[in-house]
Amino acid sequence: MKNKEMIDIDMLGQVCPACLLVALKVINEHRERLKKGEVEIVVRTDHRDATRTIPQSAEAMGYRVVVEKVKTCYEIRISS
Amino acid sequence: MQPQKEKELFKELEKLRELNQRYIHYIRQKVNQLLEVMGTQPLRPEELDDEILLEFDPIGVVAGAFHQILEHLRETVQELKMARDELHAIFNATGVGISIIDTNFRIIRCNEKQRQMLVSEPSEDIRGRFCYEVYCYKDSPGLDCPAVETMATGKPVTLREVKKKDRFFQVVTTPLKASGEIRGVIEVLIDVTEKKKAEELMLRTEKLVSLGQMAAGIAHELNTPLGNILGYARLLEKDPSLSEKQAERVRIIAEQANRCSRIIKGLLDFARKPEYERVNAKCDLIEAINSALSLLKKEADKRQIEIIFENGELPSVRGHSREIEQVFVNIILNALQAIGRQGRVTIKGSVRENSAVVEISDTGPGIPKEIKDRVFDPFFTTKPPGEGTGLGLSISAGTMSRLGGGIEVENLKMGGAVFRLIFPLTGGSER
Repeated sequence: MKNKEMIDIDMLGQVCPACLLVALKVINEHRERLKKGEVEIVVRTDHRDATRTIPQSAEAMGYRVVVEKVKTCYEIRISS
Repeated sequence: MQPQKEKELFKELEKLRELNQRYIHYIRQKVNQLLEVMGTQPLRPEELDDEILLEFDPIGVVAGAFHQILEHLRETVQELKMARDELHAIFNATGVGISIIDTNFRIIRCNEKQRQMLVSEPSEDIRGRFCYEVYCYKDSPGLDCPAVETMATGKPVTLREVKKKDRFFQVVTTPLKASGEIRGVIEVLIDVTEKKKAEELMLRTEKLVSLGQMAAGIAHELNTPLGNILGYARLLEKDPSLSEKQAERVRIIAEQANRCSRIIKGLLDFARKPEYERVNAKCDLIEAINSALSLLKKEADKRQIEIIFENGELPSVRGHSREIEQVFVNIILNALQAIGRQGRVTIKGSVRENSAVVEISDTGPGIPKEIKDRVFDPFFTTKPPGEGTGLGLSISAGTMSRLGGGIEVENLKMGGAVFRLIFPLTGGSER
């Protein structure tokens, strides 16, 4: 398997609507490569609400979403 | 600039600002509406100021997200439709009958196989009708009904053997649950008639084998003393000092000992193991039947019984001619004896996919139900003592099973019995 490009979005300190909008914007921009499995988007957030809204929307778009708690924040991994 | 002009411009600017505020307010309102649809809270002005709001284009972002969501939905619907079509095809193509029944015992759906097996009228719409009415011809669910038990306990139930429409079925009921509650029962029906027949045949074969072994043992033991009796009787017969009456009695002894020998020979034939060359030989069925008929012609004429033979272009089969001919003699003779006097024996040949079938039917009284299972047992006979040994049919059954074929018997609706001899065809699938 070839190496995937990782796109990191650092949303630490930001609350939900903005987190979601930024995540959606990045997903929209990379939709073709995301679908092909060439990239994976990692959203780092410390806002709990975002761990619900971002996976919900991304799953509705048909992506695979994994949420992990890492030390002081959450990592939301979005891939095809 | 003139003060008047400046004042007008300021006024104009104020108006534009107001208009701008209204547009921004409208955009924020719509963005919040969209965010609510996405399941999140409204944007606070301090999160994105007016300038960044426009630059960030939240409506465009959400529209893009919606576009992807719709696309994914379309794909999902397409996949679901395909899965539904596949499921429907499998539902109807499977070899078992499947019905889905609701908690009121109404049929929600059933597949084609179930229809073929249990519904008399193929075109009849049975959806919404009571299962006990359509499948069991009752006006309420029976006490032994597995669906009743599954609905009460929520556990699957298997009934090993249920007889419906002269066939045997295995019935399995499994609960259909939705969010933990029983919504109905899935009933699966498997036709086990052929399996049951095969099991019965195996049982009969096993019985025949063990009886055969026993018979062979006894026959062997008896042969020597019997030979001595016969030998000494023949010797004594020639003794000139015997009176005529005594000589007659000795002849009877010899005759009877001879008869015993024949019975024993029959027993040994019955118990004989297959020989390789015998199995590899070929036999023309039409020839074998014709030669059996020529042997029996006298007997049939004496009894005024007509024999009809429709050969159905029977082919050659694997097996030794003399043995197969003997099977035909046994079965046809049995038919003649069953009729007694005046009647008809019909021999009908046909070729199926992997077998040649010869049906021998008579116009006799048929076989009483209580002895139907025993007609192939050795020494079982309904004839008066001295007329039959009770070995004919069991020897025939033994021969047929050695050839890899079979023998079946049933009563005809219009009276009489039919024996069906099934010969496997060489080149066909061999078991």
